[in-house]
Amino acid sequence: MKLSTKGRYSLQTLVYLATCRENCSIRSISEATGISSGYLEQLMIPLRKAELVEAERGVQGGYRLARPDITCHEVLSASEGDFEPAPCKGCERTDACKTHQIWALLQSAVVDFSKQVTIADLASHLVESEAGGGI
Amino acid sequence: MKISTRGRYGLRLLVDIAEHGMEGPIALSIVAQRQKLSEKYLQQVALLLTRSNFLISVKGSGGGYLLSRSPDQILIYDVLDVLEGNIAFEEVPQGEESAIERSIRLHFYQKLDQEVKKVFEGLTLAEVTKAEWFTYVI
Repeated sequence: MKLSTKGRYSLQTLVYLATCRENCSIRSISEATGISSGYLEQLMIPLRKAELVEAERGVQGGYRLARPDITCHEVLSASEGDFEPAPCKGCERTDACKTHQIWALLQSAVVDFSKQVTIADLASHLVESEAGGGI
Repeated sequence: MKISTRGRYGLRLLVDIAEHGMEGPIALSIVAQRQKLSEKYLQQVALLLTRSNFLISVKGSGGGYLLSRSPDQILIYDVLDVLEGNIAFEEVPQGEESAIERSIRLHFYQKLDQEVKKVFEGLTLAEVTKAEWFTYVI
């Protein structure tokens, strides 16, 4: 069970944006995270659509977080498309299927926890552990 | 995030065998019919579950598969871990890890893994096969 690269990179990107005071260019995000500019452009499409990041054009342009309380769940839902461990949706056996309950348990454990952790939380740990060191 | 087909089929195979194993070794063709799954695929999953010591293969006519131990001795978490290769979200850092990667790993992936473990703690195949499991877990 693995998150896609898309999901992992999106989390990294947003944590980085949370540490920025101003708009960030794709280039500066790329330098900080090591993710290629081309890939970042792609990651931004679903993140913008989900209104998690905002983009501004112009000299002072770039990307920033749309709001401070974004959760990991919101990011992963946007970037992974759907966030369901097993594609039980639409399966007619659901009522009779005992394993369905296991996937439901797994799903709620992952979803509930990822709703509790915000991007700001992850960024704050960064500041604590890297005090003075920058990123 | 997706549980693989192997994970889903493997679990259904074990549940089916736990439910019908009293009757002796179960042929995969029967499971395939009952669960409406491909027998070919079940063979691959059964091989993996035999190698990892959850199933015993009985050869010959009337042969098939048996649980290696009583279903109350089989932990669902262990089964998922084998079927999925590794059920953890946390990945061992390859090479140098950035501060951002480390923060996400320690404060999200690692804790997420603990949550998943907590949910499955002590849950056995025996409990899952019981019909009433659903009502008291959720």
